[in-house]
Amino acid sequence: MKTQFRQFFESSPDALLVVDSVGRIRQANAQAESLFGYRHEQVHGELAQTLFPGQQVTWSPPTGPPEQRRPTGRHLELVGRRSDRSQFPADVAVIPIQTAEGPETLVSIKDLSDEQRAQFALELGLDVLQSAERDEHALLGHLLRALEQERARIAADIHDDTIQILSAANLRLQQLRHRLQAPEDLQVLDKLEETLTLSLGRLRQLIFDLRPSTLEQATVADAVRAYLEEMRSELGIDYRVEGTCRAEIPASTSTLIYRTVQEALVNVRKHARAKTVRVQFLDVSEGCLTRISDDGVGYSPAEVEDQPGHLGLTLMRERAEMAGGWCRIESAPGGGTVVEFWVPFESPPEQSGVGRERAA
Amino acid sequence: MKKVFGPHTRQVLEVLARLRSLSPGDVDLVTVAWKHASAVERAEAWAQLNRATSRDERYPILAAAAAGRRTAMDTARNLNRTDWAFWAAAWDVSAAVAAGDAIGGYFEVLAAPVAEVMPSLAEAEVSVQSPARVPSPRSQHDSVAPAGPSPAPRGRSSRATS
Repeated sequence: MKTQFRQFFESSPDALLVVDSVGRIRQANAQAESLFGYRHEQVHGELAQTLFPGQQVTWSPPTGPPEQRRPTGRHLELVGRRSDRSQFPADVAVIPIQTAEGPETLVSIKDLSDEQRAQFALELGLDVLQSAERDEHALLGHLLRALEQERARIAADIHDDTIQILSAANLRLQQLRHRLQAPEDLQVLDKLEETLTLSLGRLRQLIFDLRPSTLEQATVADAVRAYLEEMRSELGIDYRVEGTCRAEIPASTSTLIYRTVQEALVNVRKHARAKTVRVQFLDVSEGCLTRISDDGVGYSPAEVEDQPGHLGLTLMRERAEMAGGWCRIESAPGGGTVVEFWVPFESPPEQSGVGRERAA
Repeated sequence: MKKVFGPHTRQVLEVLARLRSLSPGDVDLVTVAWKHASAVERAEAWAQLNRATSRDERYPILAAAAAGRRTAMDTARNLNRTDWAFWAAAWDVSAAVAAGDAIGGYFEVLAAPVAEVMPSLAEAEVSVQSPARVPSPRSQHDSVAPAGPSPAPRGRSSRATS
């Protein structure tokens, strides 16, 4: 071997062998001796095959006319056997070389035991993560269903109990008005009536938010428009509603769309400091594509998504995915926020539709 | 070896590596291309992806999409780019590569913006074509227009990415 090759051979961090044209080991560097547990004189002249027993490997370099020889190396995954008969997974590079003795083969062997152990640990971690992800999906699904049921229950309680009581109180105030004469008493009564009317109005709005009755009579776009109108009168945020999804959407789907839009609009109210919000609906591929965009302050997704406590964003995605759709939420500081989601009109059988309880 | 991103994990990893090495000009090109693409076709492509895969099959695809988006966000931050259209494009292309031929011709729809700077993606699209390929209809009505600020294109980077 030439000096340079010799230096490379001896100082290589990998185990190296030089194998002659009949597959016998001519040279082994110190790393190879250490890896296999043999001294040089024990392996010299032995068949390379003895280090990888039971595996069919062609060690000999390519033969034939020089112009037809392709001096390209190849990688093999083999099992090596040490002198103590213990085995290890090995990545073996077989490289044809030309030496003074003629065509030979340089064999580089890398012990993959550590990599395989690390890979096993990674795969285990991945399994745990996937399992946790499935649990999270299931939990969020239960949460969304429970949320809808609870909303319906609270709306029913407010309607059947609180509003009835306040309406009765209002009637009694009317009766009281007939008995009062003093202007200052009537003034107090006026204030009381005003407060009561305001309370009733707010409760009716709350019922609408909890169980948008508009959805039972009109389209999702109409219900969203009503919500946005309320938002405009309260916060002065201007709005545009464009397009509409087809009229005959199943109730479960329209509830899901409305809830997701509502969640996005709650975020606009709370965080966006927007002047205008735009909601667009479009029938796409047997489903409804909805896009809510605002011109607010936006946020940095990389920072926000790493922090806990953003259940609203998660629930929007989860709602869409549970219905067999998808949801994309994007933003950038100063660039507003866009929530875009698509849900099929009919949920595929494997999905558990959120909002079915509401529709029932 | 377990395929974190499904059967096309190696290709996804290649895309992630390339997303990491894009130049500012590349990022701007992708951003502009994503904004010029049809939002309706994109929605159709994602709808097809949802229809063509079970929830278990979607898990690695969405994992790839999330990894691509996060990688693109890191790249954008390093290059002082703030337009989310870039990482939205990365989300799309990573999902498309992970889904492979499951989405047929819609691969092109999702991959096209990033393919502007990774021509090999366009070649990959050709290689997944089959007789059963789902066509990607070109919608004329694209009322859901892309939004967000438009960056000033700086021309194609001289850095080769494929």
